Amino acid sequence: MNEVKQIFTVSELTQSIKFVLESAFDNISVEGEISNFKSHISGHWYFNLKDENAVINCTMWRGFNNYVFFTPQDGMKIVVTGKLTVYPPRGSYQIDVRSMKPAGEGELQAAFERLKQKLKSEGLFDVERKRAIPFFPNKIGIVTAIDGAAIRDMISVAERRFPIVELVIIPTKVQGSGAAEDIVDSLNKLNKIKDIDVIILARGGGSIEDLWAFNEEIVARAIYKSRIPVITGIGHEIDFTIADFVSDLRAPTPSVAMELATPDRQELKNAISFAVEKMEESLVEKIQEYRQRIDDVIDSYMFKYPLEKVRNFYQKIDNLFYKISQQIDKKILLAEKETKKYFSIISSYDVEKTLKKGFALIRQDDKFVTRKQMYLPSEPVIIKFYDGEVKLDKK
Amino acid sequence: MSKIKTAKSFEEKLKRLEQISEMLESGDVQLEESISLFEEGIKLSKECLSILENAELKITKLKKEISNNSNDEGEDE
Repeated sequence: MNEVKQIFTVSELTQSIKFVLESAFDNISVEGEISNFKSHISGHWYFNLKDENAVINCTMWRGFNNYVFFTPQDGMKIVVTGKLTVYPPRGSYQIDVRSMKPAGEGELQAAFERLKQKLKSEGLFDVERKRAIPFFPNKIGIVTAIDGAAIRDMISVAERRFPIVELVIIPTKVQGSGAAEDIVDSLNKLNKIKDIDVIILARGGGSIEDLWAFNEEIVARAIYKSRIPVITGIGHEIDFTIADFVSDLRAPTPSVAMELATPDRQELKNAISFAVEKMEESLVEKIQEYRQRIDDVIDSYMFKYPLEKVRNFYQKIDNLFYKISQQIDKKILLAEKETKKYFSIISSYDVEKTLKKGFALIRQDDKFVTRKQMYLPSEPVIIKFYDGEVKLDKK
Repeated sequence: MSKIKTAKSFEEKLKRLEQISEMLESGDVQLEESISLFEEGIKLSKECLSILENAELKITKLKKEISNNSNDEGEDE
């Protein structure tokens, strides 16, 4: 021990403090609540850690904060690990944070709820703004890890259901530090491609920490901003992330997300068969209908009536003809009779007169012989007088 | 590129097929037109089924620079 009291310069004292403090607290873990959190443009983080009675400055340099899976928020309780450093120009001390984690599972839940409320009140979850998912996608953009089970599942679903589609996969970090930024970057890149019809943002199951990137505000805003509709398939059935609330359609798993994005080949085949069946039915029905119409016409009165009419006419004509011919026959008969009568009267009248005068008529074979040539020597002769006939037999 | 055409034309063909089926069902078309629509429909259905049967999934992987910000300067937020 020295008898003369040593007098330090400020720098000397500060150097001593720095040495003492930094060697005493070179690897410490501290639990506290974040306040005044600032993410500087340089990439460094500055914040305070506090409890009821004390506050301590903290810094977390870029490069270290890359490994933090979540973005710190004021009010969040965390445990930081690092070392104490003294900054001589300001005579201040701070914790140089190397890593941080939420103080408990509840902390992440609380952060989740805070962000959810905030985005909800901003209208990011509004149902009216959710876009329709196209039924026949030509290209599906996929934001997921290239080496995970999720991508394999999605490819096999697409292969089975709708192999006509093209998958545009953009390998993306979906877990751990920088995951949120990488997801945002991928979404932006896909949005620059013209003909992508729908984006699937997917990740297989994991712990809340594993899925945390999907609960980050920047991811939510990138989904909201996306020109192309986004389907999320994150974790398992029970996992709900902020991304799920913002997305246009939430699927419980990556496989289901792909199912929702694609029409099913078998269903399409059935639809085609159904359409063909209906077409056939319609055509057969149509032909049947025409056939019926033709039959109806053929069977109609219009068609039957003329035939009957012709027959009627036939009958009428026949009747008339019969009647007429009968009448004519009758008339002819009558005329014949009359003629005969008059003829006989006339002829007999003439002959009688002549006979009365004393002439006689010679008759052979009921014919009067009026000329010499008519006389038949071998035939009997009848001489007719006025008062009778005499028959001369030739013996 | 042909892939894109296939998917697009598949959708168009299927839509046309459904349209034809509806037109025939409505009964508003004449018999001769019905028959030519029917023929077109059968042809379309065969083409659609063949596209579905023969399609092979196309996968494109986009390249992306490694987004590890620890080694690039002047990173912006």
